[in-house]
Amino acid sequence: MRPNWLGRAALTAYFWAFAAFLFFPLAVLVIFAFNQSMTPTLPITGFTTHWFHQAFSDTELLGAVVRSIEIGAATGLFATALGIMASIGLSARRLRLRALIVAVLLLPLVVPYISLAVGMLVLLNQAGLQISLWAVFGGHVVIAMPFAVLVVLPRLRSLDPAMIEAARDLGSNEVTAFGLVTLPLLMPSLVSSFLICFITSFDEFAIASFLAPPGQPTFPVFLYTGSRAPGLLPELIAVGSLIIVGSLGVIALAEGGRRWAERRLRGITAEAAEALTDSGVPALQI
Amino acid sequence: MGGQIQLVALTKRFGPVTAVDGIDLTVPQGEFFSLLGPSGCGKSTTLRMIAGFEQPTSGRVLLDGTEMAGIPPNKRNVNTVFQSYALFPHLKVYDNVAYGLRRARVERGEIKRRVGEALEQVQLSGLAARKPSQLSGGQQQRVALARALVLSPAVLLLDEPLGSLDAKLRRQLQVELKALQEQVGITFLYVTHDQEEAITMSDRLAVMNQGRVEQAATPREMYEEPATAFVADFLGVSNLMDARATGPAGSGVVLELGPGITVEAGSGDVLARGAVKVVIRPERVGIEQAGVTGPGRIPAMVTRCIYLGNAVRVIAHLASGQAITVLVPHTSNDTPTSWEPGVPVTCHLPASALRVLPVATAAPAAQPVAAT
Repeated sequence: MRPNWLGRAALTAYFWAFAAFLFFPLAVLVIFAFNQSMTPTLPITGFTTHWFHQAFSDTELLGAVVRSIEIGAATGLFATALGIMASIGLSARRLRLRALIVAVLLLPLVVPYISLAVGMLVLLNQAGLQISLWAVFGGHVVIAMPFAVLVVLPRLRSLDPAMIEAARDLGSNEVTAFGLVTLPLLMPSLVSSFLICFITSFDEFAIASFLAPPGQPTFPVFLYTGSRAPGLLPELIAVGSLIIVGSLGVIALAEGGRRWAERRLRGITAEAAEALTDSGVPALQI
Repeated sequence: MGGQIQLVALTKRFGPVTAVDGIDLTVPQGEFFSLLGPSGCGKSTTLRMIAGFEQPTSGRVLLDGTEMAGIPPNKRNVNTVFQSYALFPHLKVYDNVAYGLRRARVERGEIKRRVGEALEQVQLSGLAARKPSQLSGGQQQRVALARALVLSPAVLLLDEPLGSLDAKLRRQLQVELKALQEQVGITFLYVTHDQEEAITMSDRLAVMNQGRVEQAATPREMYEEPATAFVADFLGVSNLMDARATGPAGSGVVLELGPGITVEAGSGDVLARGAVKVVIRPERVGIEQAGVTGPGRIPAMVTRCIYLGNAVRVIAHLASGQAITVLVPHTSNDTPTSWEPGVPVTCHLPASALRVLPVATAAPAAQPVAAT
């Protein structure tokens, strides 16, 4: 009677199983964040927000989170700026050694971060420099920039080159044409690029663990070292669950923002489509 | 106001490819001038050199006598209407049109007045607050036009501006564009591959082929006296035939169309001898009953007959071997409107309608066009 029924049920079941596999560990984390017990084991002994209070009064932990946010934001901005410049260069009509340049730009994607970290440490020592948060920032820009290029370049390529020429034709020099036309049209991709670079930096452990100076750990570094101290565990779970909720918020915001920006650029599509059909049916030409 | 363009031995090479090959052309102020040619003939590249998007490899572009080399597009008193319109999708119609005025630091009230005028000129006053994506293709085209015209350039460059519109709308906009040009009096340099468009709109036009100008003339001269076989072919003078010029006949020339079949041709390159091309427009060919003989009469057989409403197009096969298209106007109810395929007829090719063209088109046939 309904040949689709079984297939649809199977697909639905598969979807929920998949979603559970992805999100159950995160849900568990959030649940245990409110558990009274010191150890994250069943049974749940009672509801408490104690661990959140304790986490927020732990200056070391908070310091690490703030440090990571600062480095992440700086990385997001700087890597995106570099990504724009690289993309403009790569979208040039004629470019010598284009393949080589792309390969070099994207190399950090395939090199293990731990190798990069060791290399950077050796380089700093050779240059006679101290490890510092600036070094962490530099390392994070290196690993984040490929993502910026991968996000910005396709968007830049999709722009009609005549648009930039039109801006020039109407009296803009190259700088104002970039600022008034290219940049606004790139904006959705720039927001995506910033967020991806931010998250890349915020999550990164290997480089930070080598280059962050003692006493100034980033959040992942603090997390890895702290997770071995049993007394810290409930606090880390509390902060971790906050970060999960915060990340979901950022993703929702980014997606919403992207849609808003695209709607703004594209106009209300239905109305546009209607207007286009007004232009009439092609007349038969003899 | 100005607006005279002079191109002097203008050449553009992209690596090994010569896109524009030594063009000499003068377009006087206020003229509607078209560059017509197939894609890849160099017409758009020529336009882009005038706009300043490309630098000439050699030769010169002069605007009102001033050398344009090294002057960036934003400092040239010319504006462009792009084939893709290139409207700024993030700006409203009003801000698109105001863009150039703002860059020129025109005073705010003045901007408002001039944008209003420009939008009125293209009949879009009610749509100033829309985004380009909310407009139809024809409306976007008008915004692009308003955006360029609002700056009162000396020359407006149009790069196939009607290319992406449907046929009906294109015809309507052709008329509007021409009227607008006459109204504003700005020099229009119009690039198109559509011969009908070029012929109906232009004061003068140049047919380009392989980076060169084949002929520059008024539409009428071009159509009636094509200088080369390429021009005749491109303008859709559909009867272009191979022939041998054998000797003089009065003021004309005797042409052998096939073994033993000769006609006289009275215009074109009547001094040519040997292999030539000959053209005759379909409406100049007469169709008569089979068996009629006389000068210019060739036996033929109808192969197809197409009813066009106001005329009948007959395609016939001449005894000399060529296919010929005849346009028989539907002038009265007595004129026959159909010939069965396979019916023998006689085609009349009057000497005055046959035009001889040189075969070789390698050398540019057009002289530089003098300024008026």
